[in-house]
Amino acid sequence: MRKSLLDYILKVRLPITLFVIIASFTITYFASRAEDNGVGYSPVQPINFSHKLHAGQMRIDCQYCHTGVERSRNAMVPAVSTCMNCHTIAKKDSPEIKKLRNYYYSNIALPWVRVHKVPDFVYFNHSVHVNSGIKCESCHGDVRQMTRITQVHSFSMSDCLNCHRHAKEELPYIKDVKNGPDNCFACHR
Amino acid sequence: MSEVKNIHQPKADNQTEDKSKTEKLDTNYWRSFKDLFRDTSLIEASNHEFGDGVKDDFEPSKLSGISRRKFLALVGASAALAGAGCSDYRSKGDIIPYNKMPEEITVGKANYYASTSTACSHGCGVLIKTREGRPIKVDGNPDHPVSKGKTCAKCQASILSLYDPERLKFPMRKSRNGGFLKSTWQHVDDEIINALNKIGNKQIAFVSQRIISPTGKKVLDDFVKQYPNTKIYSYELFDEQIRNSAWQKCYGINKFPLISWDKAKVILGLETDFLGTDGNKVETSRLYTQGREVNNLKKFNRLYVAESTLSVTGMNSDYRFRLRPDAQFEFVMCLLNEINKNGISVPGSLPLGGYSLKSFAGKYSLSLKNLKQLVKDLASAKGESVIYAGRTLPENVHIAVNLLNEALGNTALYRTDSIDVDVLPLLKHEEIKELVNDMNAGNVGMIIHYDSNPVFHFPDDLGYKDALKKVPVVVSITGSQNDSSELGNYTLPLSHDFESWGDAKTRTGFYSFQQPVIDPIFSTRQKEAILLTWLKGKPVVFDEMVYHKYLMNNWQNNLYPTFNTKMTFTEFWNAGLHDGIAILEEEPDSFGSFNSSALSELQNAVKASSKYIVVLRESYQAGDGKFLNNGWLLELPHPVSKITWDNYAAVSHNTAKDLGIKSNDMIAIRVGDRKLEIPAFIQPGTADKTITIELGFGRKVVGIVGTGVGFNANVLRSKSAGISPWIYLANNVSKSGSSYHLVATMEHHMFGEALTKDAAQKRKIIQEGTVKEYQKDAHFLNTENPVKMESLYNPHEYPGVKWGMAVDLNKCVGCGDCVVACNAENNIPIVGKDQVAVSREMQWLRVDRYYSGSIDDPVTSNQIMLCQQCDNAPCENVCPVAATTHSPDGLNQMIYNRCVGTRYCSNNCPYKVRRFNFFNYRDHFKDNYQQSHLLSLVYNPEVTVRSRGVMEKCTFCIQRIMEARSNAIEEHRPLKGSDVRTACQDACNTEAIKFGDMNDKDSEFYKKYRTHELGYYVLEDVNTRPNVTYIAKLRNIESEEV
Repeated sequence: MRKSLLDYILKVRLPITLFVIIASFTITYFASRAEDNGVGYSPVQPINFSHKLHAGQMRIDCQYCHTGVERSRNAMVPAVSTCMNCHTIAKKDSPEIKKLRNYYYSNIALPWVRVHKVPDFVYFNHSVHVNSGIKCESCHGDVRQMTRITQVHSFSMSDCLNCHRHAKEELPYIKDVKNGPDNCFACHR
Repeated sequence: MSEVKNIHQPKADNQTEDKSKTEKLDTNYWRSFKDLFRDTSLIEASNHEFGDGVKDDFEPSKLSGISRRKFLALVGASAALAGAGCSDYRSKGDIIPYNKMPEEITVGKANYYASTSTACSHGCGVLIKTREGRPIKVDGNPDHPVSKGKTCAKCQASILSLYDPERLKFPMRKSRNGGFLKSTWQHVDDEIINALNKIGNKQIAFVSQRIISPTGKKVLDDFVKQYPNTKIYSYELFDEQIRNSAWQKCYGINKFPLISWDKAKVILGLETDFLGTDGNKVETSRLYTQGREVNNLKKFNRLYVAESTLSVTGMNSDYRFRLRPDAQFEFVMCLLNEINKNGISVPGSLPLGGYSLKSFAGKYSLSLKNLKQLVKDLASAKGESVIYAGRTLPENVHIAVNLLNEALGNTALYRTDSIDVDVLPLLKHEEIKELVNDMNAGNVGMIIHYDSNPVFHFPDDLGYKDALKKVPVVVSITGSQNDSSELGNYTLPLSHDFESWGDAKTRTGFYSFQQPVIDPIFSTRQKEAILLTWLKGKPVVFDEMVYHKYLMNNWQNNLYPTFNTKMTFTEFWNAGLHDGIAILEEEPDSFGSFNSSALSELQNAVKASSKYIVVLRESYQAGDGKFLNNGWLLELPHPVSKITWDNYAAVSHNTAKDLGIKSNDMIAIRVGDRKLEIPAFIQPGTADKTITIELGFGRKVVGIVGTGVGFNANVLRSKSAGISPWIYLANNVSKSGSSYHLVATMEHHMFGEALTKDAAQKRKIIQEGTVKEYQKDAHFLNTENPVKMESLYNPHEYPGVKWGMAVDLNKCVGCGDCVVACNAENNIPIVGKDQVAVSREMQWLRVDRYYSGSIDDPVTSNQIMLCQQCDNAPCENVCPVAATTHSPDGLNQMIYNRCVGTRYCSNNCPYKVRRFNFFNYRDHFKDNYQQSHLLSLVYNPEVTVRSRGVMEKCTFCIQRIMEARSNAIEEHRPLKGSDVRTACQDACNTEAIKFGDMNDKDSEFYKKYRTHELGYYVLEDVNTRPNVTYIAKLRNIESEEV
């Protein structure tokens, strides 16, 4: 029997092509998973601020700077004036602090690069989470060890729901923890 | 006993009773003539989901190609996309913190500032909600003694004017060729100061609207001191002068007292819309509905209204008489005669014998039975009734009404604790003629339009417009270019109320304060600051704080000492700004005893004419024309006719027949030598040969939103008043031949009732009864035992809070304030007249108005209709992508980012409360108007701005629920029903809307409203189990059936 060209295409070329396509999609999907949901994102910031130094070694409470976490939807990145509470005196001559002082005294906006973000149609609320006893590191990782802030957990909807539905396993440190709401209006409106 | 009997009625009995009731109630409910006469086109239309013309928009040949802007935007977007795709992590943007943290701001939390609204001259107290320093919503200030935490639609919508992209942004001066050129403050100030100094003995005339600020008046006084030739002319389009001068003739003081509406048992309104536009409706409607409390039937009032065409007040009346306004005098005299015959002595010796109620009733075909009932009620409720004449009626009617009230002892209901105050009395109508004469004689050197628009407001034949040409310098201080400023030399941009300092005195007993909540967005100044700069007499550097300092000085030196308080001035001032008001012990002027000499004006019998009569009323939407560029207000359906984006001539069915016209036909009205063409609209309940038109529309110089909106009926007014400055006899009214397209929402979103005649009644959409019926049997509606029907689905569980609403239809007056509040809270777009025409208005909340009874004398029922948040929601079952689902707190959640726009849910919604974004309306309406950066600032950051292709609907203000939940968690306490107030509830002047937790069986909401024996669900028979309860309206009429 003569092998037709069609036969060859159907039996060899097509499966190989399909395999290559599917394999490359699969590999790309898993390989770029982190990039896709932002895990490991650690951009260079305009000022080389170290959480390891401030929160880790000096043990400054998170809420000294992020004053909104208990009261508001937004945790709030501190105003430059908050930094200047100490840095009008502390380490005045370090090059990074000089940058900071320049922002402050010339009244220029300080453009921190955003690391953690949920989409615009998600109305995440810091205060309800913090007031329920959830620790910052449960979502943001151990910031005390980070010289440059890095995203360690994915913030996709399935990750949110995972904790909302299995609070006991995910947040064992809270006594009598209850599951979070998993209705749509809890986050979307 | 009756309760038990009713519940356990055997089924057969129930049916027969139902049948007999249906026979008794031969009234059917209808929304429009098409509905009443079962017009086949309407039945056809209600079978289709969308109206005519919907497909027209999608004609590909009509679509414009890609514009340059769109093309650039697409190129930019694709470049950005490509760039983002190439990097390993997607950029998430920047976080830019404050440089120096403002102490009072927590990002994500709203701050509220007390202030005073000057949207109209009532000066209601407001709390302005600001987020991160920008005002986003106006709510009422609960501490304000008059408005008590409530606001009207205009006040709510005034925030849109703050962000109007067409606001004046810089001073302008007229160039030689007549156009306006951009200028600087320094420049115009110098020129005007120069002109002021050279004024010589010529007059400087300020033309202003009502001034309510004592310190603002002091600035004017200072001006007069420095330039003694200055005269201040203040006017309003509609004012209380006739009422006040009649009062002065009768009681000696030139101020009509306030009325205890809440204590009145019988109210007779004559050509007055006290629940709508006549007076301070925020206060009046609150007090009036305190006498409409179903749980306190002893206090239940009865409202009679005699008016030319249906108004909000007329819609709420128990008995209504159609009466042309020039017959009102005879009507009051007949009533005086009747009560005199009933043995109540009428002061003075008037020849009343000639006035016979019987022949009066015959002449105007009024129900004599009802008129006799009125006389009986007035006679029996001596000292507890109010007869109130509209401000547009002539003086003799007011004097006769004062006499009638005096005879009935109703003076007991005139309040003596407080009285309205004029900081600067309005000008008499005649004095404005003097100004025009002076202008024509060349005696006026400068005119300053002090935030006013006299060219539009004054009668044309006054000649003000032409006289302006003879004035060398015309300065207009205004928020946006208007008909008057365009004719001047200088147009100076005025700051918005929310950018200004001020104080207000509208009543005895308190002062209120106005504070800026945002810095002037543009290079604008407030009017007092402009004057203070000129008063320096020489060019100076402008001081931003100049009026703030002046205001504080005036308070410290002149007003604060009158308070006799132990607080220091700083404490006093800060407390005043914080509360928005300062309470003062003050004795109001008391009025004397009735002066019979006033009655001489009643000696001459005034006979009503049989000619066509034109009645001019204030607009519910556009105010006096000030709000003609405000899309929220223009798109708010007229409370009675439901017409949007236009005014019209309301005529009766019979008049239309006489003239040979239908609705939408243009008619030509001739009054004297003045002429107007305006579309006619057949308004049920209008007196024959009466034409009612609302003023405030048809401005020639207005922004893009108000251009071409309505017709200017001001042209019919004359300097020599007709029957009154607002009522004229027409020489001739005729059909003009052409026609117009009025757009009304009355037939939009009808319940699917094509198959059943009178569906509103049969399907129990509107249920009502009478006070007598209710007294006899509290359970006459038999609503406690809803028909139990099985559902195919498992019932939802509601473990925690379950949200519900109750609407007390006895208190809902149908004004529509809630609709505007909802627009503001929920980022609802303006769609424009062309889109309203095809039923695409986006308002989540609508006020359905039903008529019943005859076309000539309809009874009106109002019902607000919003998402009913059904337990068995038909919308949820049909969504193919689960974008609308049920929440454990009883809400139908609508998730925009999941919606793909199949519109199945809207099709399946029996209440027709879902709204679909056929366009990106922010882009579609008036060439990107709502997408301007400035207008975007008005959006509530807690609510998603919806785009094209997305379904939306009422969410019970989920953002407010979530905020309350977040606060409860912060305070470690359970969430309560009373923690949440919806935007419509906050705005409702009469507290008709209640909101709360249905699972909290001890709450007032549950016990008093949710389980009320008059409570019913709309369309209960489809087993949707709504979470909105309507409390049936009781009509206080003598017969038992409606």
